[in-house]
Amino acid sequence: MKPLLRLVDVRKCYSSGPKCEIFPLAGINFELCQGERAILFGKSGSGKSTFLNIVGGVDSPTKGKVYFDNREITAMSHVGLAYYRRKEVGFIFQSFNLFPTLTVGENVTLPLDMLGIADYTRAHELLAAVGLDGYWNKFPEAISGGEQQRVAIARALAKTPKLILADEPTGNLDQATGNGILKLIDQVCRESNASLIMVTHSADAVWLAPRHYRLKSGLLVEDNYTN
Amino acid sequence: MTLKTLLKFNFKYYRRHALLAVLCLLGISLGVGIVVAVELINDSALASFASSVDFLSGKATNSIISTYGRIDEKYFKTIWENPKVLAATPLVDVVANTLETGSEPIRFLGVDPFLDTPFRDWVPQLANRDQMLRFFGGNPPGVFLSKDLMSRYNLKKDGWLTVLDAGLEKKIRILGPLPENSGAGLNENLAVMDISNAQEVFGRVGRLDRIDLIIDGPVNSALPNLPSGLKITNANSKKSTLTAMLYSFQLNLTAMSLIALFVGVFLIYNFSMFSVLSRRQDMSLLLTLGCDRQSLLLAFLIESLILGALGSLIGLIFGYSVASYSIGKVSSTISQLYFQVNALHVELSGWVVMTGLAVGFLATIVGCAIPAFEVAATPPVLGLKRQSIEDRAKSLRVYLFLVGAMFFVGSIIAAWASRRSVFWGFVSAFGMTTAFALFTPGFLSPFTYYLGLVFKKIFFNLEAFLAARNIGASLSRTSIAVAALAVALSMTIGVDTMIYSFRTSVSAWLDEALKGDLYISPDTTKWDHPLPTALIDQAERDPRIDSIERYSTYEIYLNGKPVKLRIIESEILRRKARFIFVKGSENLAWKEIKNGAVFISESLAFKFNLTVGDSLTLDTPDGPRKFPIVAVTRDYSSDQGTIQMDRTVYKRIWNDDRVQSIALFLKPGVSREDVKKSLADQFKGLERTIVSNRDMRERVLTIFDKTFAPTSTLKGVSLLVALLGVATAMMAILLERSREIRILGYLGLTSGEIGRMNIYQGLIMGFAAYLIASVCGLLLTYIIVYAINYRSFGWSIDITVNRWIFVEGLGLTLLACFLSSLYPTFKLVRTPSGTAIKEE
Ligand SMILES: Nc1ncnc2c1ncn2[C@@H]1O[C@H](COP(=O)(O)OP(=O)(O)OP(=O)(O)O)[C@@H](O)[C@H]1O
Ligand SMILES: [Mg+2]
Repeated sequence: MKPLLRLVDVRKCYSSGPKCEIFPLAGINFELCQGERAILFGKSGSGKSTFLNIVGGVDSPTKGKVYFDNREITAMSHVGLAYYRRKEVGFIFQSFNLFPTLTVGENVTLPLDMLGIADYTRAHELLAAVGLDGYWNKFPEAISGGEQQRVAIARALAKTPKLILADEPTGNLDQATGNGILKLIDQVCRESNASLIMVTHSADAVWLAPRHYRLKSGLLVEDNYTN
Repeated sequence: MTLKTLLKFNFKYYRRHALLAVLCLLGISLGVGIVVAVELINDSALASFASSVDFLSGKATNSIISTYGRIDEKYFKTIWENPKVLAATPLVDVVANTLETGSEPIRFLGVDPFLDTPFRDWVPQLANRDQMLRFFGGNPPGVFLSKDLMSRYNLKKDGWLTVLDAGLEKKIRILGPLPENSGAGLNENLAVMDISNAQEVFGRVGRLDRIDLIIDGPVNSALPNLPSGLKITNANSKKSTLTAMLYSFQLNLTAMSLIALFVGVFLIYNFSMFSVLSRRQDMSLLLTLGCDRQSLLLAFLIESLILGALGSLIGLIFGYSVASYSIGKVSSTISQLYFQVNALHVELSGWVVMTGLAVGFLATIVGCAIPAFEVAATPPVLGLKRQSIEDRAKSLRVYLFLVGAMFFVGSIIAAWASRRSVFWGFVSAFGMTTAFALFTPGFLSPFTYYLGLVFKKIFFNLEAFLAARNIGASLSRTSIAVAALAVALSMTIGVDTMIYSFRTSVSAWLDEALKGDLYISPDTTKWDHPLPTALIDQAERDPRIDSIERYSTYEIYLNGKPVKLRIIESEILRRKARFIFVKGSENLAWKEIKNGAVFISESLAFKFNLTVGDSLTLDTPDGPRKFPIVAVTRDYSSDQGTIQMDRTVYKRIWNDDRVQSIALFLKPGVSREDVKKSLADQFKGLERTIVSNRDMRERVLTIFDKTFAPTSTLKGVSLLVALLGVATAMMAILLERSREIRILGYLGLTSGEIGRMNIYQGLIMGFAAYLIASVCGLLLTYIIVYAINYRSFGWSIDITVNRWIFVEGLGLTLLACFLSSLYPTFKLVRTPSGTAIKEE
């Protein structure tokens, strides 16, 4: 099977002068097929978010190439990247990041609006699937954190993206709620056969994916998480 | 935590947000600048004529003037012979244009050099026989001119000066410069000539304009019984009469400057609200770290004082430049409408500097203190969460709406109370504007919500939908900017509609009043230059002319106040023109005016509280005399008030048949051009003053437009100030919502789309302000027309709504909002849409 996502020797460095000082990513090679899942561990500051941002086309690597569906996204223009994100990638954040100015329904349908899809049935189904049937017209400030994250999941999946990028989705939630969210992510990803890369610190999440990696000194190492 | 640390903290903030600091300073300095400029212009107009009055009075303790026009020469002797009068001198005092000095009129003083010696040391002393002969010799008459005038227009001794008397050219020989004994009055445009020559040249044979006196002891005992119609005054009362004449002109300017300031305060408030609130997190942290509230408040206070000082300083410079730049125009308008003032120059007095500084500081403190108090009063925990500000803004808007409703009701009550004093009219206008400013948040939040739905559901425009929602979400920022813009806009719409209505009314009145085919109406009418009888005879004899109508207007006194007396020929006017009778029956009025009754203008009726059935008392050569009032007519010719009297009545009582202008009614089929040309051929200079009906109207309307020109300038400035407010608000939204904007990037919005969203934000804010302003502006028109204009001038104006004012207002607002959103958008788009966000 052809990989959906391929990273070739991706490097990222931050510098204040001409010399590179911080190397969050120092030569990453990575592949992920359609429907496959991976979990990424690593210490704080090890470059996990940087990795997700590069894969999601939000950040660009200092060196190396990223391919998605055989298209080289590292060669795309800003507009091309925006369309890539709009169509192919769903983001789930640690701090939910719903728009406080939009209702729950409007938040979920925003990605559909961007694609010009006027049919909201998928959005309604998803909201029902995450258990927030009657929440359509509520504003985010009026619902709990767990519920907000469920809305964020529905928003990420509304456009049926091929790739879901989740950055510590349970980081701001208590354990029970977090586990519920993980189950939900599992369920919706399976339904739409979406690939998933999830960053987490939590051992509760290991069951979600067969492949586990750890970012260490800017390199990706396979990790059979056990502790 | 020390104050020093806090101040350093604040200073660092401004270093990072330099643009906002600049905008704030601009707001203060524009507001202060306009107030200062208007103050300076008003001051220098007053100072100019005050010094002019003093200079021209010389050592005179008092003057005798006429309450009905001119003094008969025969009275001079009795006054001069009075033993209590130490010195007396007869004067002809007349202003005239000359060909050589163009738009700058000259004051001609006709003196008797011997009698005048005790009064003015700058009147030429005639040393030798030759000089005497040339001064007294009448053919051609000779004048001494102020040196400054001669050098400015390159006029030479023994050269010619072409005086335009009633528009007709008269050559006068220049005898040389006036001696410059006194330093004052150097900028006076002055010409001195022999009194009998002056009487000859300016059509005043046998009459004087003034008698100057030096009296020892109390005035009343010195001259107990002056002949009727003569009035004794002094320099001070002359000054206050002139000041009173300028009242309405200055009122207009002052009101507009206060509006600019009002908008300026909004901008300052807007800015400091942002600057304080965006430091809210820091402030809360400082509070939690143990900093006390007093020091925090003090730090903000010092900060705003520094801003206020800087802004006021820049404002002073700005105001001074504006005043210096526009003073020329203002002085020519004053000369045209009221009385002769010389080319004015602006002087920054201590009082003006104080006013400017006070206004700047007050505005800054009002603008800055409220938000600072808010922060200091908020418990630190709450302060850490940004959304709580908006929650409070939301709950606040209900209260604001209620307070607004109170202002609205108050404004209506004040409008009603304006019948007592025009002060309440201004209160009403201010209250109405404040009411709508307070309605703004209450309006904005549902408006943007539903507008967003419309954009999304009907136009499928995602960017506009998001833009509308963003405005609703940052209500505490946006509503202030929108309110400021709405205030400025509604003033613009209100004042424009008032001016348009006024102009339409004036134009309609002119249509009815001006029915002649041609007019010989030199613009020196206001300086009382009678037309030569030869010209009138010529016109009367001309077989092509059906009839002529002779007018004169004199400045007279009614109950001690200057008013205009217009002499008309009712016989002809009744047939040819149409008067707009506000009160009184038309037929009866036309009949009675021939028997000695008078018509009065609305403004006179208002000022003197007179109406049909009353009578007014005027001084005549035979003592005071009563004239019954038979009509109140619409007449916009003078804000002092006008009395119209029939020529036969006037001639009989005052024994005076001067004519200042005439209207020619031509026989059918006669060409205007032919008549114009043949008359102008016989009288040199007439070609400039004989005009068609249409030109005449245009001339009046030009003066009208000139009067309102400063208003338009000021209006433009307050609009500019308001637009700065929009730009600030947009910057504020961007800074505050940067995180959300980045999430939009994550979701796949391109930079272009985000930029477009930002521009929509500016446009929607402008549109909301425009909607508020349309309603408020229309209400303001009614207040200005009925509670201010009528109460200060007595003019009734028919309100006419010009839809172009509204179309233009919308167009300009959207354009300006578009422009002011460009910079923030540029800043936004420069950072690519997908920029990593940091998790909290
Ligand atoms: N814009 C930037 N400029 C300089 N250094 C940066 C920038 N963004 C990230 N870094 C550095 O890059 C490294 C990786 O950051 P990243 O956010 O990817 O870490 P992370 O693994 O997601 O950490 P955490 O688990 O705390 O979220 C960190 O050392 C960080 O300081
Ligand atoms: Mg991270």
